[in-house]
Amino acid sequence: MNDNPNGISEDMQALLKKPGLLGVRVDRQSLIKHFFNGCAGITIITLFLIMWSLLRESTGFLPTYRWELSVYRQAGLEYADFIEKPLSEHLALHSKLNRAFNAELNTISRESKLRRDAAFLIKQQIEEKTVLQREPLQEALDAGNTPPEKITALRKTLTEATAAALGSEPLPKLFNESEKKSLTADLLGLQPDVTDMPPFIKSLMDKFIEQDKAGKEKYAAFISALDAFEEASEPITELHDGMKEQVLEVKKAATQQHMAEDAKFKLLEAARAAKTAEKREGFEKDAAQTDINPIDYKTNIDSLITKLPEYESLIPAYKDAVSKAMEGIPQKADTHEARELIDQVRKSFPKHLAHVDESVDHMKAWQWDKPIPLFRALTAFLFGGDWITNSSWQDFYGVIPLFTGSLLIAITALLIALPFSVAAAIYTNQFASPREQEIIKPFIEFIQAIPSVVLGFIGISVLGDLIKETSNIPWLQWIPGFPVQERLNMFNAGLLLALMAIPTMFSLAEDALQNVPRAFSEASEALGATKLQTVFRVIFPASISGVFAAMLLGLGRIIGETMVVLLVAGNRIAIPDFSDGIGAVFQPAHTLTGIIAQELGEVSRGSAHWQALFMVGILLFFISLLINFLSRKVVKRFQLPKI
Amino acid sequence: MVTAAPYEPKKKQIVDHLAPTAVDKTFNSKATAGEEGMISVRDMDFNYGAKRALHHIQMEIPSKQVTAFIGPSGCGKSTLLRCFNRINDRIQGAHIASGQVIIKGKNIYDKDVDTTSLRRQVGMVFQKYNPFPKSIYENVVYGLRISGVKKKADLNDACEYALKSAALWDECKDRLKQNAFGLSGGQMQRLCIARAIAVKPDILLMDEPCSALDPIATLKVEELILQLKEQFTVVIVTHNMQQARRVADLTAFMYLGELIEFADTLTIFSNPQQLKTEEYIRGQFS
Ligand SMILES: Nc1ncnc2c1ncn2[C@@H]1O[C@H](COP(=O)(O)OP(=O)(O)O)[C@@H](O)[C@H]1O
Ligand SMILES: [Mg+2]
Repeated sequence: MNDNPNGISEDMQALLKKPGLLGVRVDRQSLIKHFFNGCAGITIITLFLIMWSLLRESTGFLPTYRWELSVYRQAGLEYADFIEKPLSEHLALHSKLNRAFNAELNTISRESKLRRDAAFLIKQQIEEKTVLQREPLQEALDAGNTPPEKITALRKTLTEATAAALGSEPLPKLFNESEKKSLTADLLGLQPDVTDMPPFIKSLMDKFIEQDKAGKEKYAAFISALDAFEEASEPITELHDGMKEQVLEVKKAATQQHMAEDAKFKLLEAARAAKTAEKREGFEKDAAQTDINPIDYKTNIDSLITKLPEYESLIPAYKDAVSKAMEGIPQKADTHEARELIDQVRKSFPKHLAHVDESVDHMKAWQWDKPIPLFRALTAFLFGGDWITNSSWQDFYGVIPLFTGSLLIAITALLIALPFSVAAAIYTNQFASPREQEIIKPFIEFIQAIPSVVLGFIGISVLGDLIKETSNIPWLQWIPGFPVQERLNMFNAGLLLALMAIPTMFSLAEDALQNVPRAFSEASEALGATKLQTVFRVIFPASISGVFAAMLLGLGRIIGETMVVLLVAGNRIAIPDFSDGIGAVFQPAHTLTGIIAQELGEVSRGSAHWQALFMVGILLFFISLLINFLSRKVVKRFQLPKI
Repeated sequence: MVTAAPYEPKKKQIVDHLAPTAVDKTFNSKATAGEEGMISVRDMDFNYGAKRALHHIQMEIPSKQVTAFIGPSGCGKSTLLRCFNRINDRIQGAHIASGQVIIKGKNIYDKDVDTTSLRRQVGMVFQKYNPFPKSIYENVVYGLRISGVKKKADLNDACEYALKSAALWDECKDRLKQNAFGLSGGQMQRLCIARAIAVKPDILLMDEPCSALDPIATLKVEELILQLKEQFTVVIVTHNMQQARRVADLTAFMYLGELIEFADTLTIFSNPQQLKTEEYIRGQFS
């Protein structure tokens, strides 16, 4: 017994673990275990690598952006922009009034315009079809010495060709029978040497001119009000343009100086790293030669501020002029569209006047040398309302327009996809016969196989027109946002994204329903519940955690999708105009994912723009993390307790 | 003691248009038919698809008594029990091949029988307690809610009545709004009994109601069954012969899908007429 070092009997020795290699056990069991362990580890490491590379590319964004914003301030661009704001409001108001005017004018001259255009169109089509007969005749006529009988023959062939072409070309329905006859006569008489418009078409033209004139006379007051409105801003615009020119000069100098500083810094770096003394001296000499003159911001600002009294003095005249012009805008418009637009303008007009006054206050309170802290660059990125790049004025990297675009599209898609996929899941899982299940499931899952580019095609070629046409149906005008202006808009993208999310959401919701214990439905039916009652009172509530998870994973898919939104969302970088309520979804927008895909290939590596796009990537990454986190929480919260 | 509240839900006939005279015609003279809660099985065969699970079952189950089905596993006890509320209809291919099951004078396998109202009169408790993932209160009143009862007072009365009848009221009255899954196993099974009797059925079917419970909880449920027979006709499937002795007035012994012997419990256990029955209760096979 004593020779056994562990004091364990021989039999028990076999139970001891065998010593491993370098402390790692190497039998088959533990190798398999280490393999899986390793896979999990690699996944986590990859995740960190992705985060790290995103962070590396975007570091430097905040200092760069802060520098750009401080030049924006110190050079006085910010100051000039205080005036820009009311001016652009003025422009928007004017364009709305203009649209209202055109809608009104249309009521008078639309019909005659359509008739004239239709006649022109058919004339053009006939001329195109008879071009083979027309050209020889033209040549013969041009030659001058062609015998008259030959010209007559050519004329005859042309007339015959015209008649043939007319036979195959139905005349527009806009014309009644006798008008069709006159039109035919006109067209038959078309000869290359007759330059006058044929009489009937001429009469259509005259009619339009007359009606257009009548319309313009009728709305003369409107026109003059419009003109007065437009002209009111001219003095201010002029002043503003002058300021812009001045500050841009300073900004240009500042940018050049910044680049020079950068170059000098790089030269010095190179000198430090140089291998031979000779080279180092060369670099240092170059560095010394780059001369850097500090920018004299102060003088520029001093002269800029002198413009404020001028601006202030222009304001009363401007307000007077626009208010007068507003009085000239008709109180009662004839068309619905014009009424809506004018109402909108009337509503926002007082606000506009207030903004004009505010701009002066802002300018007075402005300090050109107030420093911009680093977190300002971050908040300007996260909460900035403008994403403007490659601008001759000033670049802004504010993600709010992109974020709202992504969010609105995602919400639209979710609101459409959720009821569809849940209803389909309930039907398939609870009511469908096995045969139906065999058909439905593969079909829905097949949607996933459609490449998103192809869906984008559908959005552009089919859905866009469909939405636009539907929105013109008169009895659907109660829907906010109708009639739709743009074919490519957030709703269109949302619809397609919903289609893409449905398979995921359907499958997961169906699984969730499948996982509800049969005992529940059996108990319910034993109590006399119908199938429908069982589904809605027991099975669906019991599956709610899974349905939530399905929804959130679908949301993840929707937010991350790039191709469809890039193709279909319309790519207008602007915060949607919510004056129409939820009708805003019919406006085009750009998205977080779309902007990266669109712009990353075109920007120079390392520039502020490049870094900003990576910041957007990080934002997306965090949104996805948040969604994942939420879905875990939600699933936990609603999970059925185990019995 | 069961202190029933004055609650009395509206009873629906299995087939509403069934006139008493029409009922009389279907009555079998030799049976004590016509009495409430009476089940009579007439030469019934039952199939799962092509496979026959029950052969020529013929029995009369009296009302307001406890009837136990015993027999080895797989002999068709559950299948027979589940014929009485047609819950077998849920299973694809399961069907009655011939014969009748007559409850309250009506063959429940007739085409014009509405299974939902049948099941309101024939309640069922399952082997594994299966409360809904809802509050205790919602579990108990579920049967009333689905039959359209909306008045809060009616629901409250029914809940109190059912929980008292299931001897669960004192344990639960302060936690009615809590999730049922917080109860113990025995309490959950009694909750399932309360849920079944809240709609005041005539018949209560129980398929091995104690097999998932510990001995003390089993005892409580057995006590409860003895109380329940004052109001309901109870049919219980059990694997446990002691249990059949303790609770049943009548016992049916089944073997390989056939009803071998059906008599009062005392006779079955002391003086069985069939050899198979004797072998089984002596424990020679199981
Ligand atoms: N859903 C089903 N499908 C097919 N056969 C079944 C089904 N349920 C039970 N059976 C068969 O019917 C017979 C009786 O089963 P069951 O009534 O559950 O027996 P017991 O309850 O007495 O143990 C068994 O042979 C079983 O295999
Ligand atoms: Mg069984």
